[in-house]
Amino acid sequence: MSVEDLPRKESTVLKGHDGAVLGVRFNTDGNYILSCGKDRTIRLWNPHRGIHIKTYKSHGREVRDVHFTPDNSKLCSCGGDRQVFYWDVATGRVIRKFRGHDGEVNAVKFNEYSSVVVSAGYDQSLRAWDCRSHSTEPIQIIDTFADSVMSVCLTKTEIIGGSVDGTVRTFDIRIGRETSDSLGQPVNCISMSNDGNCILAGCLDSTLRLLDRSTGELLQEYKGHTNKSYKLDCCLTNNDAYVTGGSEDGYIYFWDLVDASVVSRFRAHTSVVTSISYHPKENCMVTASVDGTIKVWKT
Amino acid sequence: MDSDEDDFVFYGTPIQREEDLTSRKKKAIAESSAQLRTLPAWKQEVRDEEGRRRFHGAFTGGYSAGYYNTVGSKEGWAPQSFTSSRKNRAEVRQQDILNFLDDDEKAELEGRFLGMSSQFDTFGSTAAEVARKEAEKEQKQRPSIIPGPVPDEIVLPATESVGVKLLLKMGWTRGRSIKDSHADALYDARRQGRRALLAFSSDDPKVKISGSEPIKDDSEIFPEPSVNDDIQSAKSTPVYVLNPKQDLYGLGFDPYKYAPEFREKKRSRISSKMGSGYSKNFSSRDSLFGLKSGKSAPGFGIGALEELDVEDEDVYATGFEFEDTYVQEVEEPAKLSLEFQKKKDQKDQGNLPGFRVASNSDYQMERFEAPLIPKDFVPHHAFSGPLEINHKNHGIPPPDVPAPEDSNLKILIEGVANLVARCGKLYEDLSREKNQSNPLFNFLSGGTGHEYYARKLWEAQQKCIDQPKQQLDEKVPPGVKRLTAESRGQILGERPLERSSQDPSSSDASTDVQLQFHLTDTFIKSAASFSEIPDSERPFKNDPAKQERFEQFLKEKYKGGLRSTSSSLAGDMSEAARARERLDFEAAAEAIEKGKHGKGNKLLIPSSMDFIPGGVMQFTSGAAEPKKDLQTEDLMGKMYPKREEFQWRPSSLLCKRFDLIDPYMGKPPPAPRIRSKIDTLIFTSDSVKSNKVEKPIAAKQDISHVQETVNQDISKSIAENEAEVDVEVENIERPVDLYKAIFSDDSDDEREELNVKKTENQEKKAEVANTALSRLIAGDFLESLGKELGLEVPPDMPYPTQISRNAVLQKEIINENARPGNLMGENNSEISQNHGLPNDQDIAHESGPSKVDTIYGNMLESGSTKTKGTNISNSKLSRSNRENGDDDRKLKSPVTSHRDYSSSLSSEEERKRKRPRHHRHRRRDAGSDSSSGDERDHHSSRSKGRKKGSSEEKSRGSRKHSKHHKHRRHESPSRSSHHSMEKDDTHPRKEKKRR
Repeated sequence: MSVEDLPRKESTVLKGHDGAVLGVRFNTDGNYILSCGKDRTIRLWNPHRGIHIKTYKSHGREVRDVHFTPDNSKLCSCGGDRQVFYWDVATGRVIRKFRGHDGEVNAVKFNEYSSVVVSAGYDQSLRAWDCRSHSTEPIQIIDTFADSVMSVCLTKTEIIGGSVDGTVRTFDIRIGRETSDSLGQPVNCISMSNDGNCILAGCLDSTLRLLDRSTGELLQEYKGHTNKSYKLDCCLTNNDAYVTGGSEDGYIYFWDLVDASVVSRFRAHTSVVTSISYHPKENCMVTASVDGTIKVWKT
Repeated sequence: MDSDEDDFVFYGTPIQREEDLTSRKKKAIAESSAQLRTLPAWKQEVRDEEGRRRFHGAFTGGYSAGYYNTVGSKEGWAPQSFTSSRKNRAEVRQQDILNFLDDDEKAELEGRFLGMSSQFDTFGSTAAEVARKEAEKEQKQRPSIIPGPVPDEIVLPATESVGVKLLLKMGWTRGRSIKDSHADALYDARRQGRRALLAFSSDDPKVKISGSEPIKDDSEIFPEPSVNDDIQSAKSTPVYVLNPKQDLYGLGFDPYKYAPEFREKKRSRISSKMGSGYSKNFSSRDSLFGLKSGKSAPGFGIGALEELDVEDEDVYATGFEFEDTYVQEVEEPAKLSLEFQKKKDQKDQGNLPGFRVASNSDYQMERFEAPLIPKDFVPHHAFSGPLEINHKNHGIPPPDVPAPEDSNLKILIEGVANLVARCGKLYEDLSREKNQSNPLFNFLSGGTGHEYYARKLWEAQQKCIDQPKQQLDEKVPPGVKRLTAESRGQILGERPLERSSQDPSSSDASTDVQLQFHLTDTFIKSAASFSEIPDSERPFKNDPAKQERFEQFLKEKYKGGLRSTSSSLAGDMSEAARARERLDFEAAAEAIEKGKHGKGNKLLIPSSMDFIPGGVMQFTSGAAEPKKDLQTEDLMGKMYPKREEFQWRPSSLLCKRFDLIDPYMGKPPPAPRIRSKIDTLIFTSDSVKSNKVEKPIAAKQDISHVQETVNQDISKSIAENEAEVDVEVENIERPVDLYKAIFSDDSDDEREELNVKKTENQEKKAEVANTALSRLIAGDFLESLGKELGLEVPPDMPYPTQISRNAVLQKEIINENARPGNLMGENNSEISQNHGLPNDQDIAHESGPSKVDTIYGNMLESGSTKTKGTNISNSKLSRSNRENGDDDRKLKSPVTSHRDYSSSLSSEEERKRKRPRHHRHRRRDAGSDSSSGDERDHHSSRSKGRKKGSSEEKSRGSRKHSKHHKHRRHESPSRSSHHSMEKDDTHPRKEKKRR
């Protein structure tokens, strides 16, 4: 994929959120996106046709993160009301609410079988919630973090959390081991490479760091953007060739994965680009901003 | 009529054929008879002899009924194997009764026929017959490689007779003679005699031919089995019978023909030796029967009586032995020609009987002589290059010819030569063809100027070859080997050695440095490119010496050539400096390369430098000040990312949900994680009963307590300089008190403040409510603020309380470093505090709007802290720092993990054990005193007194309030106001944690 193939052309602008949009996520096949924001709603869109499909309202405060199940039938969300919501996508009803976090919940993810929701909270913990049983108690609380956990990633066997204490902690369920990679800088967002070998960690010193998961080695640092006070998302393109991330000045940056050079940057929003999500297959990308818009980018 | 049918008349009783008739059968019969008698016709049921009902009626399976009761087959009455013989009579065999019998009938008949069961078929004839028939049948069905019936003759199915089986069971193996062990003297003697006879027998091969014989040399045709076998091995027996008896004699009748080979031999022998009458008789018989009968003996098994030796080819020819000896006796006076015979036999050994080695075979191995290798051939393969010119290149260069006078022609020739060199010979041919008529291009076809053209072409080719090589070398530095000897010689000979003077290195090093220079210089292009490096690519302009070194480095790096072992130009630099410089060079070179090879030359060094955090800063200027940055960054680089591993126990349900096997399945729950080395030390060294009694959660809590205390101890030890006396006093106390201090701590406090407790609880609730409210307000306020400003939080806001883990970490590291010399304690604490500030800032921003509440709190608080921190005198400063530290630790929930902190705190641990009392008081001070630092001076005496009191009170016992006193510890009603904010923030969280 060359630089020309990067999604840099604005294809659609999705407007509907009142106030900042805090998160935007593609679904598994990339046909729909979910967004969530300060207006306490979650919205389902078709980004390719620019249609707003559904609004999910139940959160009491801002919604910070949202995630689809792999089969797109359920979704989970979390936010400032310290709860994790487990929704049915079609009916728009809340199936379950998981209470227990002692603080705002920053991030939420389904596991592979969509049987567990793992949430990361301001209360310095990761909590795993059971979607199968009717128990509202967490299956497990991981509270080894020393500060607010900002982001969580799940693999088939691992739970990975990034925290403001500067660590990326990998909890391997198979062998019962916690691996803590201390980066020295508050970690804002972690995202897995598509091959699962690397973790991209967005740090609050305006640097994205690429870690080798097996060795904990720092592979590369990506700089140029500003990220000092917001929780900004970063991710890799679907072919792992480029790293992309938003900036607090409304720009979007593309870095070459290997040599870390900024291959492209352009102004996408008028305000902070809070969230970014890359299409699982195509050269398409959605970004969300504090200015209340979601933009779809294509080549 | 009806009555007639109803009444059957029975005569006699039915015959019971089998005694063991099943009861069912009996019953059926009885029933049926009874039925027949009693039931009306329409109710009677027809059953078979087994008593099964066979007629079911049309609706319940009439077919089945008919099938079973009428005919034995689906086909009904049609005979199974009937074929009309009308059309193809030939095919129809003689019909037999068996053809018309059903299977069961055949089975019935089984016992009546006489036949040998294959089991007892000693000779295998029957079995073999059957097998052969089978094979025949099969043969007809499948196509065979060899057409006709021949294969069946040759390949007989092997069957094992009972005799063979028995022998095998008795330990006989195939290929061994049975009578082997019985070799007695007599036998031997006879054998000897016979052998002698045999030797005589083949005495004169030439004479042995009789007229009637079709084949001339018998001894050649038929190998002699006796001798043969003797030589080979005395034990071999043929495994299967090859040929059955085919002559007209009865079994065992013919005395002479038991072995055709013998017969032949004998015949020849006799004919040669004896009188014609006898021999004629013999030979005639031979001719009559011998040839017909084939080569082997009649098929006959091994007889038990067999005394025959293995020499005889056919072991089965048992009965003839007697005759054989008899004959032999007759033939006794035969001549000896053993040697000859043996030779023959050996020669024929490998052949099949009946075959002989052809004198000239059809098949001949074709052999080709290896090609003659010219003497001057060198076994070296030259790979063809990208263009075919490469081959020419190695040829002898055409002589240098002066250019033709016509300058136009000269230019033309040169141009064509260049083109041809570049595009290959094809171009030459093409242009020659095209310009055949053009006199100007005569030189191509050998006209005027051809020689000059040839020379030019060669030169151009030379150049062309050099170029790709050069490119290659740019990529792969050690490409020197490609140089031809000629060019190298040129290089070495022609180039002046001017640069050697610059080399400060030793003389022997200088030679290869020179060489290197010249090597690089041969690559004209690269040399040129480096001589004219643009200014932007001269990163060390300010330092010409360095720039020079850098250039050389570049040459070494990219242009190949030998590396000089001693770094030539930087002779006076230290190893470390050189290494660092090398790193710089690498970085710079990379940057330049990038600038060159990247998309356009727009990426200049400064921009491309950005991604190299460490070394790049340095080469922009030789000044010293960026070095500091470098160092700190290096430190960072060394420290981060840092990997640690811990035990972690996933809950079994989580494993189940993730579809994984619980790694801890069946194992007891793990001990709460050890958070620091201190913990292990504490728990291992002092075995305190109370520890065991504690519930796991409580224990965990205690760990954090310990850590807190330790932390306090650290800061305390800073203040130690001032209060040495205290230390002395407290050294007396025993280490166990540490635990008392920890575990009874709360109750002590509680005891004291028992009276205040209730009001306090209420107060707390109110506080929580207030906090929530204020958070909401603050949150909203800052949200709106953030919206407007894009959340630019004032950067210089002091923020000492929310110390991130990093800050703590750094501080502690520094503290630890300073620990040995306790004198520096104060300064260090100050430094660390200051150091912590900027980092705190980061955290304060960390999650944007989400954390505004704490920021708000800090803003409120900042003023007072600030004044405290800065304005008070030195001693006070340290104290306030300490206090801040305390607060920090409290605010930061216990989880503020001290894992990182674990490194070598043993000294502190000791110290702490010495002074458990001490820090306990301190804690109390922080908690319950009205917290002005000034009162701190008196704390030791005061707290001591209080402690006594409290311990007395403790005996009275007030444990039941244990839940509340936990809160107590973190909170005091009389605490200074500016802390209340953050305290409240963290408070609910803590409460929850504890539960």
